Amino acid sequence: MKILLVEDDDVFTKVLTKSLATHHYVVDTVKDGEMGWTYGSTFEYDLMVLDIMLPKLDGISLCRRFRAEGYVTPILLLTAQDTRTVKVQGLDAGADDYIVKPFDQVELIARLRALLRRGSNNPLPLLTWGDLLLNSSTCEVSYNGQPLSLTTKEYELLELLLRDSQSVFSTEELIDRLWSSEEFPSDATVRSHIRRVRQKLSAVGAPQDFITTLHGRGYYLKAMATMATTATMATMATMATTGSILAPRHSTPSSQMLPSLPTGGKTLPGGVSSGIPSDVSSYISPSVSSKISSSVISPLQLRQQYVSFLNETWATTQPKSLDQILVLLQTVRYLQCDRLTPLQQAEAQQIAHKLVGTLGIFGLTKTTHLARQIEYWLGGQEPLEPKHAPLMKALVVALQQEIQNTIQIELSQLPDQSLPLLLLVSSDPEFNQSLLTVATHCGIQIETVFSPESVAKWEGGQPHAIVFRLPADLTNAEAAHSPIAAHLLDMLQTFAHRYPELPILVIGDRGGLSDRLEVLRRGGKLFLEAPMPPEQVMATIVNLLKGEELPPKVMVVDDDREWLRTLPTLLKPWGFKVTTLDEPQHFWTVLKAVTPDALVLDVNMPQINGLELCQILRSDPGWRRLPVLFLSALTDAATQHQAFAVGADDYLCKPMMGVELANRILSRLHRVRAWAT
Amino acid sequence: MCIKRVLIIDDEETIQTVVQFGIKMAAGWEVLTAGSGAQGIQTAQSEKPDVILLDVMMPEMDGIATFKALQSHAETEQIPVILLTAKAQTAEKRQFNDLGASGVITKPFNSLNLPEQIARILHWKCKYENLAGRR
Repeated sequence: MKILLVEDDDVFTKVLTKSLATHHYVVDTVKDGEMGWTYGSTFEYDLMVLDIMLPKLDGISLCRRFRAEGYVTPILLLTAQDTRTVKVQGLDAGADDYIVKPFDQVELIARLRALLRRGSNNPLPLLTWGDLLLNSSTCEVSYNGQPLSLTTKEYELLELLLRDSQSVFSTEELIDRLWSSEEFPSDATVRSHIRRVRQKLSAVGAPQDFITTLHGRGYYLKAMATMATTATMATMATMATTGSILAPRHSTPSSQMLPSLPTGGKTLPGGVSSGIPSDVSSYISPSVSSKISSSVISPLQLRQQYVSFLNETWATTQPKSLDQILVLLQTVRYLQCDRLTPLQQAEAQQIAHKLVGTLGIFGLTKTTHLARQIEYWLGGQEPLEPKHAPLMKALVVALQQEIQNTIQIELSQLPDQSLPLLLLVSSDPEFNQSLLTVATHCGIQIETVFSPESVAKWEGGQPHAIVFRLPADLTNAEAAHSPIAAHLLDMLQTFAHRYPELPILVIGDRGGLSDRLEVLRRGGKLFLEAPMPPEQVMATIVNLLKGEELPPKVMVVDDDREWLRTLPTLLKPWGFKVTTLDEPQHFWTVLKAVTPDALVLDVNMPQINGLELCQILRSDPGWRRLPVLFLSALTDAATQHQAFAVGADDYLCKPMMGVELANRILSRLHRVRAWAT
Repeated sequence: MCIKRVLIIDDEETIQTVVQFGIKMAAGWEVLTAGSGAQGIQTAQSEKPDVILLDVMMPEMDGIATFKALQSHAETEQIPVILLTAKAQTAEKRQFNDLGASGVITKPFNSLNLPEQIARILHWKCKYENLAGRR
């Protein structure tokens, strides 16, 4: 059981953490309300304990915020005021319980236990499974009357499996639930804990597979048909509620990641976010959805969370840095009257150096630069004399002002070497802006240049792709000979020459043969005809960029659920990311959400058949390049002809081996990529 | 899943905090922190991290001294060390290489990028999963 404790009193925290640890709870502690929000919304907890009096964000507001965002985790409030108002406020804010300080540790633990039980099926502190009995109030475990001696982790593991005995727990989930967020054990560690618990269980006569491995999914307690009934009430209660049904714990397929979808991600409880409208989840078949990791965060959301963390940290760093500035100002004063000792200078240099490091991590480029200059002067490469005092003073004061003026750390100012860089050559501000918005969502950086001069002087990092937006009149045959047009085409050629291996995408208003030829001859590799929605431009770029890095996304539409269920496993060895859909009427929504790299369609389906789906697809210019493979039980030539006529790239007949299907998909993907780059 | 354990030795607490959070968010790796060379050596010995990020300029025991000490202990000599330094001169970088450091990461950095940078320097095959949106 994992608990988040938000409490600013260190002594109190220490005592409480210790006592919680002896009761086998894993505890994360943070000291203020904002941090509480960051942790509570980032990591998964079974329970949260919030002090009401907290810096930055009080416990009641924090509680309200969790509830407003849809978190259902039990919350217990700690209050120093034994007044009715506070209690009522707390409970109205969505708290499940409160306890008044000072309180008895034993009582608090008992209340926590009660809250934790509320979420489970079992109303009693006794947890049982077959002959296994776990008493959570005494932390004793026995099998068939024989006591088991377990380590803390082993106890927690068993308790978790018992508490949620209808669930399969993946290694990842076990790590999330049983280890604090400061610890990150390896999969092997988890496996070795499981192994040891199994050994201990079998030593007292439990079956080897008491804890069963569901391959590729995780662990669960085996449902026993002939479960020996003991006479305890608890057993009865458990028996009544635990069948042999094993439901995957996380059926949150909506968390499938869609970096290319700009529909404004919404945050789901647990900090899991998604760009998919939540209703999509209901028709991506569960067999697939359970394979999709439950904690996918888009690049943007990841960065946003990181930035909000930086802002939290800045709130405490800023005053600290300003204090350090005061020391530097004092140093300048000493320097001014020639009283600066080498020791003082060395100390001041140390401070300046620390400021460089600290400010740098917040991405405060200008501020860091100032601090670095101060560090340089204090470093003594050149002797520091009183005549330098005015310069030093100016630098320190400027630094002070910069730090004071930094109210907010912005996402855009963070250094980022890893995001793919897209160089955009365009003088169309509207287009640039719309592309920029979409790019940010996809985690792509954009640098815009619009004049031949700026191109010549371009000294930014190595771009990963280049997009040229030809002005509207350029592809007009006459205008093509205008100086601007010639310039632009020269620029294209310059870039193609400079970065021969880069994908260069050209967007022009008219895509006649001569225009296309001109662009091609100048080194453009892809030509898109305007107007083109920015999402589609970006999707094309993402496709180009991801190359071999990302697993190809394959979407399969078929009404045969059994077949769909086996597909992900069948295609797994080839590293495809498979999305299956058994209801053709949701085809378009899912298609747009998933943006697959290849599509596999069945022919005969209720409501809308595969041929029609293919026609719909091809009727949209943006989807004409998507490889479409038909896979059907129909082997007749007429259907095959028809399939090719509506835009199929390949036609395969069932039954089909995984390897053959994979090869056909790969060869299609290869074709598209070879063409693009 | 491939969880690595990283030890960061840096005297600036803010940097420790941010790096810890950033790496954890980006890749889910475990990050241990130490505020001085001496403390770092101790942690390295007891925890045996997969990699050590070591700030070059620290008061008292600086990064180079810490690195040499790590190299001289049997328990820690095998642990790859990546030095964290402000814009390093080429000569300085060569010196670090000659010492036997696995690589250099230049400050300022974005902690979210660290897992990728580390994996690249150390040729870790394991796909840490992050910015592409997969976790």
